Amino acid sequence: MKELQELARTLLADGEVELVIGWEEGRRGARPAFITSPDDADRLIFDARCVHNLATYLSPRRPQVTRLGKLALVVKGCDVKAVAGLLREEQLSSDRLVLIGVRCGGVFEEPALKDPAQPTSETVAPRCYGCDNREPARVAYLLGEPQPEPPMPATTIDDRVAMLDALSPDERWQFWTDQFSKCVRCYACRQVCPLCVCEQCIADKTMPQWIETASHPRGNLAWNLIRALHLAGRCVGCGECERFCPVDIPLSLLNRKVQQIVEERFDYVVSDDPERPAPIGDYRPDDQEEFIK
Amino acid sequence: MSDERHADELYLTEESLTRLVDELLTAGTEVIAPAVTGSCASPAAIASAACLRPGAAPELIEYAALHDASQMALGRGLPNLSLKGFFLPQEEALVSWRRRGTGLELRGPRVDAPSRIALGVKPCDAAALEIVDKVMNWDTKDELWNGRREATTVFTLACPVEDESCFCAAVGGTPDGTRGADGLFTPVEGGYMVQATTDKGRAFIDSHLAAHAGEPAQSDSLRRQAAGFRSAARERIAGHLAIDGPAIRDWVAANFDDPLLTSLGIRCNGCGACTSVCPTCHCFDIVDEPDGVSCGTRRRCWDTCQTGRFTSHASGHNPREDQNVRFRQRINHKFAIYPLRFGEILCTGCGRCTRVCHAGQDLVEILSEIDDAARRGRPAVTADSDGGGEG
Repeated sequence: MKELQELARTLLADGEVELVIGWEEGRRGARPAFITSPDDADRLIFDARCVHNLATYLSPRRPQVTRLGKLALVVKGCDVKAVAGLLREEQLSSDRLVLIGVRCGGVFEEPALKDPAQPTSETVAPRCYGCDNREPARVAYLLGEPQPEPPMPATTIDDRVAMLDALSPDERWQFWTDQFSKCVRCYACRQVCPLCVCEQCIADKTMPQWIETASHPRGNLAWNLIRALHLAGRCVGCGECERFCPVDIPLSLLNRKVQQIVEERFDYVVSDDPERPAPIGDYRPDDQEEFIK
Repeated sequence: MSDERHADELYLTEESLTRLVDELLTAGTEVIAPAVTGSCASPAAIASAACLRPGAAPELIEYAALHDASQMALGRGLPNLSLKGFFLPQEEALVSWRRRGTGLELRGPRVDAPSRIALGVKPCDAAALEIVDKVMNWDTKDELWNGRREATTVFTLACPVEDESCFCAAVGGTPDGTRGADGLFTPVEGGYMVQATTDKGRAFIDSHLAAHAGEPAQSDSLRRQAAGFRSAARERIAGHLAIDGPAIRDWVAANFDDPLLTSLGIRCNGCGACTSVCPTCHCFDIVDEPDGVSCGTRRRCWDTCQTGRFTSHASGHNPREDQNVRFRQRINHKFAIYPLRFGEILCTGCGRCTRVCHAGQDLVEILSEIDDAARRGRPAVTADSDGGGEG
C-alpha cells in the first residue's frame, strides 16, 4: 500500500499525471478514489475489498473525469481486459493513460467487508475463480507481492449457468421472465459497464423508439436481452452490472452464457491484448458464415 | 411522543394479525405489506446473485400486495424498494387510443382506486407520501396519485433503526413516526400494540381490527414494552446524522457554483438506482407506445435526473452536461428547491440511496459536508438561536 501511495504521490508531484484513480476507505467500505493532489495520495488503498472495475471511469462519456487531464489508473489483472477493450475499440488513446497494475489474489464479492484478509471460498467473488490475470500485463508499473490462486467458491458461475442450462426451455424462460420482471429500468447495468460506451444508447433513442422504456415485461425483456447481446464478445465478465443492480438480477449468468457461445462459435476468449481482434470488430475472408463473405 | 398519544393502544397478537389479514384478503381487500418475495431455498434462487452473497439474508423482502397472510414479513428489515410504487407505479397507462374510421376512441384509466390497506410500513416510507402529496397537488391535481392516497389506509411499524445509514431524525422524521400514515404498530412480545392517529385509521380499527384485538391482563406491561421500544429507537437514531435543514437549504440555494456542490459526481456512474429506490423521487416520463398500426397506449414511467437524457433538449444541447451537475441537481432539488417551494425536505432519511450505491456515493457523508459548509457560511450568532427551526 505504501508503494502505491508513494508512486501516486510521485506521478502527481512530477506532473506525469493530473489524476490518479484508485480505491480509498469509504464509510461503507472501499470505494473509488480520485486523487488530484500529491498530498492526498495516502488515501489510496489496495486489498481484497477493492472490487470495483475502475476502467469504467475511462469511458469517453464521463466528461467530469476526462476534463481533469491525463490520468493514472490502478488496475487488477481482470480490469486490464476492460482497458484493452476500450483501446481495441478506439474509445481511448493510450497516451493519456498510465496503468498502475496491482497483483491480486482475488477480491471479495462485496467491498464493505471490514476484514481485509485474503478472501475465502465463502467470501471470494465467484468471478475470481480460475483467474488467469493475477499479475496484470501491459502496465507501466507493477506493484505488490505475487499472489496465490483465488479460492474456489462453493458455487461457481459456470455451475450456475449449467443449472440454468439443465432446465427445460419453459422453466428457463420462466426463470428469466421472473428475474426481468424485477427490473426498474434504472440502467445501472449500462452506466457502470466499462464497455457500454455508446454516446447514445439504443435504449435512449426515441425516433424510432426501438426499446420501450416502460418497465412492463415486454420492455424489460427487450432491454435486458439487447444489453447482453450488445456485449457479446465484448463483456469482460467483471460482474459490475450485477453488483450494481438494485434489484439483484443475476446478469453475470446471462453474460457468461453469451461468453460461452462466443467462445464456442468464434474461438474467442476475452483478452487483455488490445491487438487481438474481437469477433465483432474482425473480418476474415474465410468466415464460416456464408452471408458475410 | 407523550404516553397519552399511545394511551388507547390495542394489543394484536401475531396470530390475530394473520387472521385479520386473511379475513381482509378473503373479502377481496388488497393488503400491502413487507413480504418475502423470493426465498433462497427455491430451486430457481440458486442462480440468484443475492442468495449467494456471503451473509445474504435467506429471503428477499419487498412491499407486495399479499396473496396470503403467510407471506407477511413485518419488521424483518428494510424492504428493498420503497412504498412509492404503490402510489406512483414504475409504469402505468394514462390513456389508450384506437382509431375508428376518421374518429379516435380514447380510454382513460380508473381513478377511483378500490380501498386497500398497507401494514408494516416503514415510517420513512409513509412520511414520503405526505411530502410528495405537495407536488402532486401543486397546480394540476394528479388524480391517479390522489385516488390511491385516498383509497389507502396506512399503518406504520415502529422501526428499530436498520443500520448506520438511517437518518430520519436529521430530516424531521422519527423511527416511530406516523406522518403520512393513519396509525402505528409497535412490536411487543407475541404481537403488536396498535394505535390509530387519523379518522381513517380509527375507522379501520373499529370496522376490522378491533374484533381481533385483545385486552390482555398484562396490557400495562405491554404498553411499557412498546414505549420502551420506541424510546430506544429514538435514542439510537439521535446518535446518527444531525444537520441544520434550513441552513443547508439557504446555503445550497445561495452557493450554486460552490466547488463543493460542483464536484459531487466524480465517482457517480449516473445510473438511476438511487432515484429508483428513493421514496420521495417522483419524476416521471410520458411515452406513447403503439400496440399496432392504429392503436396504442400512453404510459408514464419512472424517470431519473441522474441520466444525461433527462435534460437533453431537442436541439441536442444539454444544460446538465456531466455527472457533477446532475448530482448537484439531486441535492439541490431535495434540500433547497423543494423546501423553498413546499416547505419540506424531499428526503425522509431512509438511506436506501447510500446502501444501493456500489460506487460509494454517500448521502450521509455529503450532507455532513454541506452542513459544515452551511454552518460555517452563516454568522456565528445564529448557530444557537436557530435551533433547527425557520431562521
